[in-house]
Amino acid sequence: MAIIVVGLNHKTAPVGLRERLAFSDESCSAGLRSLVDGEIVDEGLIVSTCNRVEVIAATVGERWEQGKDRITGFLSRSRSIAYEDFNTHLYSHADDAAVRHVFRVASSLDSMVVGEPQVLGQVRHAYSLAVSAGTAGRVLNRLVHQAFRVAKRVRTETGIAASAVSISFMAVELGRKIFGELKGRTVLLVGAGEMAELSAKHLINAGVSRVLVTNRTDETARRLASQFGGEAVEFSRLPTSLAEADIVICSTTASEHLITPAIARQSLEMRRNRPAFFIDISVPRNIDPAVGEIPNLFLFDIDDLESVIASNIREREREAERASLIVESEVMQFQQSARILDIGPTLGALRQRLQDIARNELSRQRHRLGDLSPDQERSIEALLIATVNKISHPILNRLKRTYDEGGSEAVQAWRDSFGLESDGEEPEPNETDDTNET
Amino acid sequence: MKPLLLTVLAAYVIAAIHAILAFVNKRRTLERITLGSLAFGFVLHTVWLITDWTVEGRYPLFGLRETLSFLAWTLVATYALVIYRYRTQALGSFTLPLVAVMTFIASITRDTSSAAATGTVTDANAAWLFPIHTTLLIFAYAAFFLVFIASIMYLLQERELKNKTFSAIFHRLPSLTTINDIATNTVGIGWTLLTLGILVGMIWSSSRDNRLWHNDPKEIFAVLTWLLYLLLILYRASAGWRGRRAAWMGVAGFGLVLCTFLGTRLFGGYHVFG
Repeated sequence: MAIIVVGLNHKTAPVGLRERLAFSDESCSAGLRSLVDGEIVDEGLIVSTCNRVEVIAATVGERWEQGKDRITGFLSRSRSIAYEDFNTHLYSHADDAAVRHVFRVASSLDSMVVGEPQVLGQVRHAYSLAVSAGTAGRVLNRLVHQAFRVAKRVRTETGIAASAVSISFMAVELGRKIFGELKGRTVLLVGAGEMAELSAKHLINAGVSRVLVTNRTDETARRLASQFGGEAVEFSRLPTSLAEADIVICSTTASEHLITPAIARQSLEMRRNRPAFFIDISVPRNIDPAVGEIPNLFLFDIDDLESVIASNIREREREAERASLIVESEVMQFQQSARILDIGPTLGALRQRLQDIARNELSRQRHRLGDLSPDQERSIEALLIATVNKISHPILNRLKRTYDEGGSEAVQAWRDSFGLESDGEEPEPNETDDTNET
Repeated sequence: MKPLLLTVLAAYVIAAIHAILAFVNKRRTLERITLGSLAFGFVLHTVWLITDWTVEGRYPLFGLRETLSFLAWTLVATYALVIYRYRTQALGSFTLPLVAVMTFIASITRDTSSAAATGTVTDANAAWLFPIHTTLLIFAYAAFFLVFIASIMYLLQERELKNKTFSAIFHRLPSLTTINDIATNTVGIGWTLLTLGILVGMIWSSSRDNRLWHNDPKEIFAVLTWLLYLLLILYRASAGWRGRRAAWMGVAGFGLVLCTFLGTRLFGGYHVFG
């Protein structure tokens, strides 16, 4: 078997092309069944997200060239796109490179935003589609499960996802940096805006328990407040509301400073100098920059957040280098155990061993048979070999089935009882799984 | 005796190294190694202190060696309380190296002049007050050291939040509120211990030679320290001084603690040590 990956992603193809190649869940299952033919492609899996369309496949034997052609042909047919239209955007990997690629994708090292967690779920989903379509077999099972493990290792052993890379998560991260637990904290939304709402949503998920909303028009404030299960407060009471809030998110369309240093100082005094975190995501700014100089008050405007995000992305990329080392070692481990566990050589070696036993017996007993013509001699040998094969065939078939179902211990037991070395370097039989040669 | 202290030292060094590595790399396994070897070292250290006490027949708080060793022990104990209460190990990468260094110095020095001192102390009236006096104060010093570390961490983090430029260590530090809580609570504990320690010292002194006050530099610094931390506590309570200003006070206070601790060494005087 060989593992191959053929596909395109956000780095190699524009979104227009990715859209045309993308698979829905239904088309994915149907496509998988037509892709896997048992002759060239043995197992298949399609990962289709907004950033990538990839076919991961295990081929019969080492036929990865044919496998690649089959997959591109399949993509062209099933998506009704001329081969020339997408072929320059395709990448393909085989063996080590394919395994590495799958591990990198699952660990989010290949994502647009390195370390984003969604891709692992998408790979998981793709795998479950392949399982229900019946196109994920022994090879892909092992590959995908190890990919999940690699992703987990990368997540826990590197800081790849440690810091926020979006404004809404930045609000949560900085909030935690200042307050620790967000449980029991109060957030105040001044004005409505998509970004402010998203940040508030994340803050609530992170444990913020009380939401205050204020707006120039009370109607909007009430609507937003009911959406978050919060309280609408009158705009004129801004200073008092400020004093109650630990986190303030400001995003109005006002063209002047709504929160001046005087107001901020006053509110800080009311809250007995407990620290406060102000986020100003409005342009033009609604909070006077001078507010940021007040002790115990932390002000971040949109540029500040963006620059922190940029540095967090750089940090993630540094961590990605460490993650690459983990991936490398896992690729090596995957290939090593694949060699030990590959059933083909084992079956060949077992069959060879049984045939050798028959031949040895024949040559030992040869003198008793007296003179024979070469024709007779050949047919006696053929008879013996055929008998051995007939007897061993169901056993070897059974062994292969056990193995495919994951019972590699049984294979090892058979290898041991026939004294086969376990390095997978047996004298190669003709091909790997031609068990139908009776 | 020596091999035991060397084992303690080894355990502390391992703990310190892993605490620093954990701080840099943020790996749970490293933190576990730190905790494990710290616990191991602490238990052995306790055993060592007790044997020292019984073998020498006097409370192990006279010479430089004994004091450093005991101070290291109290630091570990106080730090363990912080871990238990706040579930943060970030202080360890600052505290444990110091603990290791103190234990190292304690393991290479030898106390020569303690016999005379022992005589003067143990012969006096109410000699049993001496261990209480010193132990309370050593624990107070350890608490103030943690306040100092927490204050430094607060200042570092506060500056980065204000400047909006975050260095690598920023992500490893506990939140401002947590650090502030650690400092506030620890300063309260430290100040209480300091007060009790000074009181016991005065009682002891008056029962020996009917004098509460010897005008010795150590005593003067101790009172200054006491006043400064009292001020800090009052300010924190009145909420006017939070955050950065309180943190600066925590740093300054520790400067006074050092003067008090090393008072006799630097300026001479009536106190023996510790």
